[in-house]
Amino acid sequence: MRFDFTDDQQEIKRTAKEMLASRSTLELVRSAAESKAYDPDLWKELCDLGWPGVAISEEYGGGGLGVVELAGLLEEGGYALAGSPLLATTACGAAIQEAGSEQQRETWLPRLATGEATGTLAIAGELAPDAAEADVIVLIESDRSGARLLAGDQASVSAVETIDPTRRYGIVTAEESAGEEMPGDPEAALAIGALITSAELVGICQRSLDVTLEYVKDRKQFGRPVGSFQAVQHKCARMLFQTEAARSATYFAAWAADADRDRLIEGASLAKATASEAGVEVTGSAIQAHGGIGFTWEADIHWFFKRAQLDAAYLDGTKPHRRRLAALAARKVTSPA
Amino acid sequence: MDLTFSAEENEFRDELRQWLAENHPGDEPRGDDDTTFEFRKDWQRSLYDGGWAAVQWPQEYGGRDATLMQSAIFFEEVGRTRAPLPANVLGLLLAGPTIMAWGTDEQKERYLTPILSADEIWCQGFSEPEAGSDLASVKTMAKRDGDDWVVTGQKVWTSGAQYAKWCLLVARTDPEAPKHKGLSYFLLDMDQPGVQVRPLVQITGEAEFNELFIEEARIPHENMLGGEGDGWNVALTTLMNERSGLGFFLQIRLRQLLDQLVEEAVRNGKIKDPVIAEAIGEIEARTEVTRLTAYRGLSTIEKYGQPGPEGSLTKWLWSETNQMLVQLAADVVGPEALSADSKWAYELLRARGNTLEGGTTEILKNIIAERVLGLPRK
Ligand SMILES: Cc1cc2nc3c(=O)[nH]c(=O)nc-3n(C[C@H](O)[C@H](O)[C@H](O)COP(=O)(O)OP(=O)(O)OC[C@H]3O[C@@H](n4cnc5c(N)ncnc54)[C@H](O)[C@@H]3O)c2cc1C
Repeated sequence: MRFDFTDDQQEIKRTAKEMLASRSTLELVRSAAESKAYDPDLWKELCDLGWPGVAISEEYGGGGLGVVELAGLLEEGGYALAGSPLLATTACGAAIQEAGSEQQRETWLPRLATGEATGTLAIAGELAPDAAEADVIVLIESDRSGARLLAGDQASVSAVETIDPTRRYGIVTAEESAGEEMPGDPEAALAIGALITSAELVGICQRSLDVTLEYVKDRKQFGRPVGSFQAVQHKCARMLFQTEAARSATYFAAWAADADRDRLIEGASLAKATASEAGVEVTGSAIQAHGGIGFTWEADIHWFFKRAQLDAAYLDGTKPHRRRLAALAARKVTSPA
Repeated sequence: MDLTFSAEENEFRDELRQWLAENHPGDEPRGDDDTTFEFRKDWQRSLYDGGWAAVQWPQEYGGRDATLMQSAIFFEEVGRTRAPLPANVLGLLLAGPTIMAWGTDEQKERYLTPILSADEIWCQGFSEPEAGSDLASVKTMAKRDGDDWVVTGQKVWTSGAQYAKWCLLVARTDPEAPKHKGLSYFLLDMDQPGVQVRPLVQITGEAEFNELFIEEARIPHENMLGGEGDGWNVALTTLMNERSGLGFFLQIRLRQLLDQLVEEAVRNGKIKDPVIAEAIGEIEARTEVTRLTAYRGLSTIEKYGQPGPEGSLTKWLWSETNQMLVQLAADVVGPEALSADSKWAYELLRARGNTLEGGTTEILKNIIAERVLGLPRK
């Protein structure tokens, strides 16, 4: 066993981090958020690098790598708080690959893989990223009983301005007859979306922690760095604890998606339950550790809090995923494999 | 202990109920900060005219000399009918009690009534860029010049300064003295060229608080509250009132918000989800406990005249519960809870300030450990 990225995966992640460190600085994140527009060049660059297709198999024009690689990229995307349709488009691609018919895959995956088309994965009536602009939408019924594939113009999407201006959101609904049914398991269609959202949350947590550590080492009160007070130290220690918990669960889920399909759904719920809670708490703690500055628009930490709130809610938050984990645990006991 | 109401108290409640039924201004208008402020100002004016602006204050300043139980009844009724907040919250809860405790007769005569009527709005100029949790290290300097003090320095996070006529100002009058001993407390007139207010935008997108740039502002000596060098002790009176008094006041908002959340959960059926029900039950219990603890705090005030460091418990309990509540709203209310400009989204963001303003939770815990429990200091 080796619970770590391979050298190649490490390299992909490292390059992504470097690229985003210059292409998605907090200054750029801020100006995109305040003008409520993505940087179109960033998306183009991500497409040139093949990110949207990383986990789409080569037969459909993708990079043929795995969900582990995709999760690594999204973690870095979260770390940099990059504004682009990457999460939405890859969640959509993964859902089609999981649950679509052969014909649906052939139609959409090559275009999603290059980023020529963007997509989203949405639960009916709930907020989904980049929905209004999507060329293709995987729509899950609100009771999770089925999934449908809709071209963008077959769905009705109301764009919603949320508290997170670093990303665009919308609520998708559709006539019952609109689009095509997807033959696969809607749970599986949702699972990869949930786990890559968790990966983004891991990046958000890590960045919030890094920014906070820097601040509390520097900020002085009572003649010493506030980071020297045990209350602040314990808060930071807990931030790490939660970030690492989310990371363990998310990496496991990504691995399961690639290598142990029977545990994908369990892994995805484990990841999303843990990462949603961590995201909300860690970013909240980051604000607290910054004191009054953390409550200002001018400081950047609030962007992370806001994105974490939206990511935490997307494809279900902690409570429903825990419920699913309990049901799965019960099933294991009553019908051992 | 007696938690029932006497005939007299019931009479008080009936009178208030009737007054509220006739004078309730309805829901706050959705609009910019200024519209809300004007609305709250009108509402406070109408409370004042009815004699309800601060029932526990002495009659001579516009209060009713109300008993502890009566003021509890007052707050319950205000909560029950979802009446808005008055405009001059910091005047009512901080300036008033501090002036009553430390002011000369002339000062009480001059300042208390316009606080109640909202004719003069107050703000609190304590925090500075380098002096937040470590309040005693404020650098704003006041130098004596004849009958005046000349003040220069910078304050930050000053809530409501844009509307304020007066500011509760802590400044250093003796730079040679140890840091807690060199401070004095002033009532600063904001209407002068030496005081500039610059809005600071919050994570909610609105600018409730401000920076104050003070450049040779003048304060007549008679506007010093307490004696020269008493600043730290006077400031503690304000802070104790902020933590218990404001906490008391704000637990009513907590109740109102919780009622709205429960209504929503009943309406959309989520209350039947046992996980949601458990979470709501937890907040229900904490909200009630906040209320009861706040009432016990009122009893202490009645007994000793001033709130003690225990008030930090109320503020801690309130701020944490409020954050839990608004976070739960994201699960209960659905997408609207995260939509910009929705009430729930505003509350979600605004609540992050609760564990900072009026002393951070970490500082409150230090105070409880050191001053209430008597644990040794480092
Ligand atoms: C919404 C809002 C409204 C406000 N309104 C006003 C106002 O009207 N007037 C006014 O004067 N001020 C106001 N404040 C300021 C508030 O009182 C300060 O923000 C607060 O005291 C913290 O100071 P700071 O921001 O400098 O943070 P810092 O003191 O720098 O604290 C940074 C972090 O270090 C921690 N810390 C610091 N010292 C210790 C210690 N000894 N032990 C453990 N942890 C420690 C803090 O808890 C915090 O997490 C307001 C603040 C907010 C957020």
